[in-house]
Amino acid sequence: MNKLVLTGIITTIVMLAATWMAVGGSKGGMNDDIVNLLAVAGAVVLVLATVFVVLKYVRQMQDDTATGTLADENWDGIGEYKNELPMGWAITFLLTMIWGVWYWFVGYPLNAYSQIGEYNEDVSAHNTKFEAQYKDITGDRLVEMGESVFLAECKVCHGLSADGIEGKAADLNHRISKEGVVHAIMNGASNLKSDFPGGMPAGLNYMFADGEIDKVAAYVAAGLPASDTEGAALFEKGTCTGCHGASGEGMAYAGPKLNGFDIATVASVLKDGKKANIGTMPAFERLNDKQIEAVGAYITSLSK
Amino acid sequence: MENRPLEYDYSVAKMFMLSTVVLGIVGMLVGVILAWQLAFPGANLFLGEALGEYTNFSRLRPLHTDAVIFGFTLSGVFATWYYVGQRVLKVSMAESKLLMFLGKLHFWLYLVGVAAVVVSLVLGITTSKEYAEFEWPIDIAIVIVWVIWGLSIFGLIGIRRERSLYISIWYYIATFLGIAMLYLFNNMEVPTYFASGGIGAWYHSVSMYAGTNDALVQWWYGHNAVAFGFTVPIVAMIYYFLPKESGQAVYSYKLSLLSFWGLMFVYLWAGGHHLLFSTVPDWMQTMGSVFSIVLILPSWGSAINMLLTMKGEWQQVASSPLIKFMVLASTFYMFSTLEGPIQAIKSVNALAHFTDWIVGHVHDGVLGWVGFMIMAALFHMAPRVFKREIYSKSMMNSQFWIQTLGVILYFTSMWIAGITQGMMWRAHDEFGNLAYSFIDTVSVLHPYFTIRAVGGTLYLVGFLMFAWNMYKTMTAGRRVEESELQNATPMAA
Amino acid sequence: MFHWLEKRPFFFAVGVFIAIAFAGLVEIVPNFYKASQPVVGTTPYSTLELAGRHVYIKNSCNACHSQLIRPFKAETDRYGHYSLSGEYAYDRPFLWGSKRTGPDLMRVGNYRTTDWHENHMKDPAGVVPGSIMPKYTWMYTNLADIDTAYAEQITIKNVFAVPYNKPIPMKDGSTSVVKLADTLDGAHASALEEAKLVTADMKDQAIKDMVEAGNIPEIVAIIAYMNSLK
Ligand code: HEC
Ligand code: HEC
Ligand code: HEC
Ligand code: HEM
Ligand code: HEM
Ligand SMILES: [Ca+2]
Ligand SMILES: [Ca+2]
Ligand SMILES: [Cu+2]
Repeated sequence: MNKLVLTGIITTIVMLAATWMAVGGSKGGMNDDIVNLLAVAGAVVLVLATVFVVLKYVRQMQDDTATGTLADENWDGIGEYKNELPMGWAITFLLTMIWGVWYWFVGYPLNAYSQIGEYNEDVSAHNTKFEAQYKDITGDRLVEMGESVFLAECKVCHGLSADGIEGKAADLNHRISKEGVVHAIMNGASNLKSDFPGGMPAGLNYMFADGEIDKVAAYVAAGLPASDTEGAALFEKGTCTGCHGASGEGMAYAGPKLNGFDIATVASVLKDGKKANIGTMPAFERLNDKQIEAVGAYITSLSK
Repeated sequence: MENRPLEYDYSVAKMFMLSTVVLGIVGMLVGVILAWQLAFPGANLFLGEALGEYTNFSRLRPLHTDAVIFGFTLSGVFATWYYVGQRVLKVSMAESKLLMFLGKLHFWLYLVGVAAVVVSLVLGITTSKEYAEFEWPIDIAIVIVWVIWGLSIFGLIGIRRERSLYISIWYYIATFLGIAMLYLFNNMEVPTYFASGGIGAWYHSVSMYAGTNDALVQWWYGHNAVAFGFTVPIVAMIYYFLPKESGQAVYSYKLSLLSFWGLMFVYLWAGGHHLLFSTVPDWMQTMGSVFSIVLILPSWGSAINMLLTMKGEWQQVASSPLIKFMVLASTFYMFSTLEGPIQAIKSVNALAHFTDWIVGHVHDGVLGWVGFMIMAALFHMAPRVFKREIYSKSMMNSQFWIQTLGVILYFTSMWIAGITQGMMWRAHDEFGNLAYSFIDTVSVLHPYFTIRAVGGTLYLVGFLMFAWNMYKTMTAGRRVEESELQNATPMAA
Repeated sequence: MFHWLEKRPFFFAVGVFIAIAFAGLVEIVPNFYKASQPVVGTTPYSTLELAGRHVYIKNSCNACHSQLIRPFKAETDRYGHYSLSGEYAYDRPFLWGSKRTGPDLMRVGNYRTTDWHENHMKDPAGVVPGSIMPKYTWMYTNLADIDTAYAEQITIKNVFAVPYNKPIPMKDGSTSVVKLADTLDGAHASALEEAKLVTADMKDQAIKDMVEAGNIPEIVAIIAYMNSLK
């Protein structure tokens, strides 16, 4: 084997190996995805075909001699042979045309193929596959799934550890901050329209004397601990219990749970979004019910 | 006068050679900066916080693409035209005062255009369409420059002595016509200042086409800007410079013929491959894929024709760095015209589109094919227009290997980056959720971005060696006799 | 025949032109009318949004960000419903982009908010660790070009019959009107109104003050634009 062929083969192997190691074994991985396989196969074909075709011509440069009849013309000393077309080239040209006809009429049949149709099939295959699987995802697995949703969708705002990145979004390790409570008392709240259509009225501060708002806010932010009897009394005084329940456990249609997260509360936020003192949280229509349940379970698990 | 060799006039060719080198340095330097910015975002502020507006990645990126396309590549095309045209038509520009005038006017107006482009892009005056960023005043300047080039092409052809047109001339004519047609249609825009009765910025315009239509016209243009900027005129070059430098006759007229007309016909249909899975009709997308695959053969035809022209002349490939550049250019041409069609297959494009694999494809074409061929052409021309031997052959050789390594690092890293990213975007986890947030797919690319930046820097270093070698040739090379200038280019060790 | 052509540059050029012009006609003409019809719910850009779009273009955000959601499950999971041709009816130029160094932004208004953009554009890595997006700090001081946006609105209204001041059907069956002022001053006033809605959700007092004083910085315009991408 000559040096050149050897170099060619080694280059090919090195490149393919590098591609494989980086891509096949990488995080994205082949992921059982036909498209991934095809793309990598395409890359392989590319390297192989070029290397070997070029090797063929390099051989000819090394061994053959130029022959043929020269044409009469010559331009600035450049002549031109009247050689026939290289056979391999001509045949491949024909083959590509045949492939073209196949692709056009069979592969992606004109008037019968639709990319949206294909998409719909993909989506329903995906959904069917996971609908069956979702039934069995509960408990710790649900939290694990929720973490995966959180990392893909929420961490951009809430941060990897869900702490809200120095106050840029809500710290989800705690139900609510003191400032958040004060904000609700002063301004009311009317974000979670779907689950709490009445909202919370603004200006409940008139219920409290000086310094009391601070105390009730600290009480709520601390998770409404039974030990804080003063806070509990103020909570009742402010009529908060009327909507949020005696210990802030929440009441359907009236007010959300305040003494911790649960799936329903998170779901309310994801449904309508939430705009308050920290900033604005967008609604997340594109998550399905199971994903919402899961991310709710995950967030609930953070403050436990 | 019959047997006396013609005295060709290279004054315009020389001017464009100069702009090729200078704009090549500018464009590639900006490319290298971009590459480091993606690897290390701190580099967005390499001239300090205050100039960040002008030095960040997004401001500079169009400057890179336009400087290398409309600066480096086009200058190279013009330089070789003003050299090759005279020689294969057997007529000197000095024979016509008008042609000389047009040639010089062409150069100076072109320079004005380039200056306007640089200033406007740095200031952020752009229409955002890729490779057609310029606002209408610059469009007009470009059209004028183009018309002048056309006059000079057809003027020279009009007074030619060689009746029949050499292959290179076919390709130059096609370049002229192709770009003229494409550029005009893609730049139909309404200046808002005039249409609104004098409100706002005078240079601002709005596209005549909206949305999907605008995209169609843009990629009909964009794809063929590649065709008529990075392919057709570069093929013109190789058809002249490789046979000339090697002293070999072109392998097959039939192959030249079929490749040319095949390329002309097929290329224009393939633009749809930039719009796969977009909102253009499915049949148009399929058409883009089909013609892309068919396009392999007319493209390979020219490359094979050139490789076969070197039949039996292996010793030249081994000994002459100039032939090395051209043979490798031809090889990279084959590589990228096989890679492109593979990326144009729908299922591959689903993965490759929007990723760095496309950027890899772009650069194995432009660095390995366009860049190598233009540098080889200038190397061949230099002794003939300056009447001096190439200053250093060994420097040419090291340049060749440094740049080859640069290209390989560039495209291999981008392959891996692109395919990895494409796969991560698609990946679903065991729960059926997206497996990665977007930033995960960015962070994994860091090593590949770094490798690419190193590769690009090597290529730039090679280009600076080229510039230095050209400069020394011009100023310090040994003077050579007419008789030494037949085929193999004279070069000092 | 080819030898004949090769001796006649004029006919040769005509031949080349025919070969290359043909495809353009087939590719472009048939779909032209249909593709430009807006889908229900698509409205033209308001003055401030358009000024923001100009900021987007000026800074070539399209170099890194696409605005085209392809019909793949993974893509619609990440970005929302796949793109429809008619949604781009008022996009001159189109901004699909060809490289996703950053995520698609076609519907970013659905899942990112004003205050997030305010933090992110100033220091992307401060919000998203590892981000390679440049900081766009000067947008917080440069003023948006409302005049040019208004000039463009008048142009497209007159030349392309873009329906400003006309009822546009919405998805829920109602109609909506995008107002276009009669005068430049009117346009400034309405842009300022819009700007105040944006700054209400922002934190940076300096920005709020600028807008109160009647100056609209680029950041406000570009956020208005991004919020409109839905
Ligand atoms: C009329 C019923 C009502 C009363 C009285 C009421 N709330 Fe609320 N509260 C609500 C509703 C409904 C919400 C959800 C608001 C929304 O849609 O965003 C809410 C939200 C809140 C929140 C914000 C929760 C979050 O996720 O950010 C806090 C804190 C809160 N209430 C505290 C209080 C306190 C303290 C009091 C007493 C001073 C009180 N509420 C009285 C109905 C009420
Ligand atoms: C564009 C940024 C952004 C994204 C994306 C985002 N959030 Fe938020 N989120 C916020 C902000 C800002 C707040 C705080 C709103 C306030 O209270 O002022 C918030 C608040 C919340 C709250 C309410 C906390 C409370 O105690 O009242 C929950 C629950 C929440 N987010 C969950 C999520 C989940 C789950 C996801 C992903 C599916 C998510 N968020 C994605 C910005 C975001
Ligand atoms: C060098 C490439 C680059 C440029 C230029 C760039 N971006 Fe980004 N952009 C990114 C990357 C990478 C991300 C993902 C990481 C992050 O969120 O910061 C991103 C994220 C974003 C996001 C968040 C989208 C989402 O879904 O999370 C927005 C909005 C955005 N960019 C807007 C812009 C605008 C507006 C400009 C132009 C003024 C711009 N970007 C310029 C690379 C870039
Ligand atoms: C047979 C020939 C070729 C075909 C079929 C082809 C095909 C393609 C395809 C499918 C893409 C990607 C589109 C996308 O998904 O975004 C692409 C991009 C590109 N190709 Fe090629 N290619 C060919 C040859 C070349 C050559 C020789 C060059 C340069 C020397 C080149 C330069 C480019 C450039 C610059 C882009 C990027 C366009 C953009 O900005 O998105 N191509 N090509
Ligand atoms: C020194 C060598 C070079 C380096 C380091 C370099 C680097 C880069 C970088 C970093 C990008 C942006 C990619 C992205 O957005 O992710 C780019 C784009 C591009 N470059 Fe270069 N470049 C170099 C030389 C060239 C040359 C010589 C040409 C043409 C003759 C060229 C043509 C292009 C084109 C057409 C694009 C746009 C690709 C696309 O949009 O898909 N580059 N280059
Ligand atoms: Ca233009
Ligand atoms: Ca591109
Ligand atoms: Cu193309």
